[in-house]
Amino acid sequence: MQTARRKRFSGARAKENFHSWLIMLPGLALMTFFVWEPLIESIRMSLYKTRNVELVRFIGLDNFISVINKDDFTQALTNTFSYTFWSLLIGFVLPILLALLIGETVRGKSFFRTAVYLPNMLPGLAVIILWSAFFSGEKSGVLNILLGHLNIPPQSYLTRYELVIPIIIVIATWKGAGATALIYMAGMAGVNPELYEAAAIDGAGVTRRIWHILLPAIRKLAGTLLILQIISVFQIMYEPMVLTKGGPDNASLSLMQLMWQYAFGGSMNYGKASAVAVIVTLILLIMTAIYSYFNRRESDWD
Amino acid sequence: MNRFFRMISLLLALCCLLNAAGVSAIAEEAVDADLTCTITLGNWPADTAPDAEKALFEGYRAEMAKQYPNVTLVPDYYSYTLSNYVPMAKAGTAPSIFQPPFTDPQLLISQHLVGDVTDALSEFGVLDKFSPSYVEMLADENGRIYGLPRDGYVLGMHININLFREAGLMTEDGLPKYPTTLQELAEYGQIIREKTGKAGLVFPASETYGGWLFTNIAWNFGCVGDSALEYQDEDGRWICNFTSPECVAAMEYMRDLRWKYDILNADATTTDWAGAHSLLGTGEAAMNFAADDSVDQPTANKGLAVEDFALIPFPAGPAGRYALAGGTCYMFAPNISADQGKALMAYLKIIGKLPFLDDEIIAGMRADYAAKRDRGAPVLPAISAWSDADYNAAKQAIIEEYSNVDMRLYNDFFDSISEGTIALRSEEPVFAQQLYRELTAVIQRMITREGADVVKALTKAQESFQEYLDDEINDF
Repeated sequence: MQTARRKRFSGARAKENFHSWLIMLPGLALMTFFVWEPLIESIRMSLYKTRNVELVRFIGLDNFISVINKDDFTQALTNTFSYTFWSLLIGFVLPILLALLIGETVRGKSFFRTAVYLPNMLPGLAVIILWSAFFSGEKSGVLNILLGHLNIPPQSYLTRYELVIPIIIVIATWKGAGATALIYMAGMAGVNPELYEAAAIDGAGVTRRIWHILLPAIRKLAGTLLILQIISVFQIMYEPMVLTKGGPDNASLSLMQLMWQYAFGGSMNYGKASAVAVIVTLILLIMTAIYSYFNRRESDWD
Repeated sequence: MNRFFRMISLLLALCCLLNAAGVSAIAEEAVDADLTCTITLGNWPADTAPDAEKALFEGYRAEMAKQYPNVTLVPDYYSYTLSNYVPMAKAGTAPSIFQPPFTDPQLLISQHLVGDVTDALSEFGVLDKFSPSYVEMLADENGRIYGLPRDGYVLGMHININLFREAGLMTEDGLPKYPTTLQELAEYGQIIREKTGKAGLVFPASETYGGWLFTNIAWNFGCVGDSALEYQDEDGRWICNFTSPECVAAMEYMRDLRWKYDILNADATTTDWAGAHSLLGTGEAAMNFAADDSVDQPTANKGLAVEDFALIPFPAGPAGRYALAGGTCYMFAPNISADQGKALMAYLKIIGKLPFLDDEIIAGMRADYAAKRDRGAPVLPAISAWSDADYNAAKQAIIEEYSNVDMRLYNDFFDSISEGTIALRSEEPVFAQQLYRELTAVIQRMITREGADVVKALTKAQESFQEYLDDEINDF
């Protein structure tokens, strides 16, 4: 009796599952074809000696060893972490501040919401070209013209080692902060207004309300956005590629750009390019795992 | 009834006669009606291209249909880059014909990514009309040919005469007093910087451009022969040689241009080829290492008047006078058949890229030069990639009809080539792009760090490029 019921149950479940799988099938097929297959192929390619996209012979970890032992890899790795550092320093808090400011604005909230999001609607390359005119070291550079009015002689920006990564991050933040701010605003909108009212009755000012109610409420969202930002910045490529071409002397070369150089920069070494790609993936996996570990522990404590 | 049949028979006979006459007329126009294949043509003008250009290519298509009625042309807007070509060649979807720069043919040939057209060239009688230096660039070690020159160029120097005038660097004849040596280049550049506040020289030191230009400077400092930047040893292994005294001296010269003479543009490390032309054309820099094929960039494209522009030979160095000869070529998909090879040669002949002249080709050339003149680009003598004297002379006569320049501003450049006072060299033989990238990094270090150690930086670059050569050729 029980067996018959179980059979009926599992039959219904299988039918239900069948429909679920059927719905998922196109998505799975696309994922397999466009995500998993290339991923596995690039891991395979990283273990082979290649002639363009042909696999010539299996060489184990030689591509990884060769790539890691080169100075430009060390430089690109350091730069990529530097990008991440500057991005967190400049670009992590700014969207929260923007969201708070716009959230506290009484008049013209829609205008400010649109205004901060506007740079995000511009094509990425157009933004880079726009800012390259701003930071041009020639006399005709916009920033130099502005400084000229203060009797400051023309300066170079994009050819200076110490400035080039912060400048690229400023540009990336200018473009992306508005979109992140909108996500924070949505998160802040979900906070129970009764909490504010209660705090106001208890005599809490704006600062204390933000500190004790708003920020704890968006902490998890901020954590998620933090890891997404790290993943995104770790894959930074087109900004340095267009603005500085990785220079001066590789000072703004990122890991993704190095990968591009191996594959398409004249050498067509897809094996080494794949090795760099696998290394980037591993680093990001480790960072995501660390984040997930702490996040889970925090959830357990909650 | 009989009468009716007689009429029908007569009409049928008439039709047959007319038809036969028509067929024979087509057959007369057709060069090869039996050639049957399909060819895909890269670099076909896009829908947004000027109408005149689209009409020109449609004319080629019509002519091809007339001469080779069974060859189907498939227009393709494909524009070559190394990165987009490789997957297409491997997947068998590359266009039958495409146009890479002269930096890439040897790489593509060595990787078996292009088609052999030796037999087709021979059939059209042009195999022996190649300029020998171009054969070297487009053939493999067995002498098989994989491409044709589209146009050739020689590297020299573009001059913005306005800045020379402003700096007082003019002769009594009203011509710019231009540098003939690299030392003079540094000194004149310094005068221009002091007198005008503008860059004496724009040097695009980004990506691979810096290394590309630097090889020319290095040759003039003596990096040729035994001191070449790369060479093959007795065992046939490729050796990188960036630390020769000649190369070190050339790199020290680069460093001096920035720190001793201060003549370079401010953002040299981010400036690319187009940016360099822009700075010269807009009067932000007085000199630019550039070739005769890009004289329209600072003039027609950036507004510098033709009369304020000059093209001079590459300045000589302490070890001689050398300049790069290069250009763009036509190459072919790896999977083309013999018939496709023949059809492609026929197409190239029709568009005037083989050394033959007929009325239509001459009309096309006239239209091209007239258009150049109208948009304010200098119409200059062409550096031919073919060694056919009659063809070259006929072409030159047409160019002279449309000339819009004071040739005194160009004669030294062209004379240096025709009189052989400058030695032309092709790009470094193997993995030129990677070599340029390594050297660009060194140049960037030299011009951004005042105390940078030349020998140390070149040694590091040499090790890196040697590892690359070992990896890709010596120990492959």
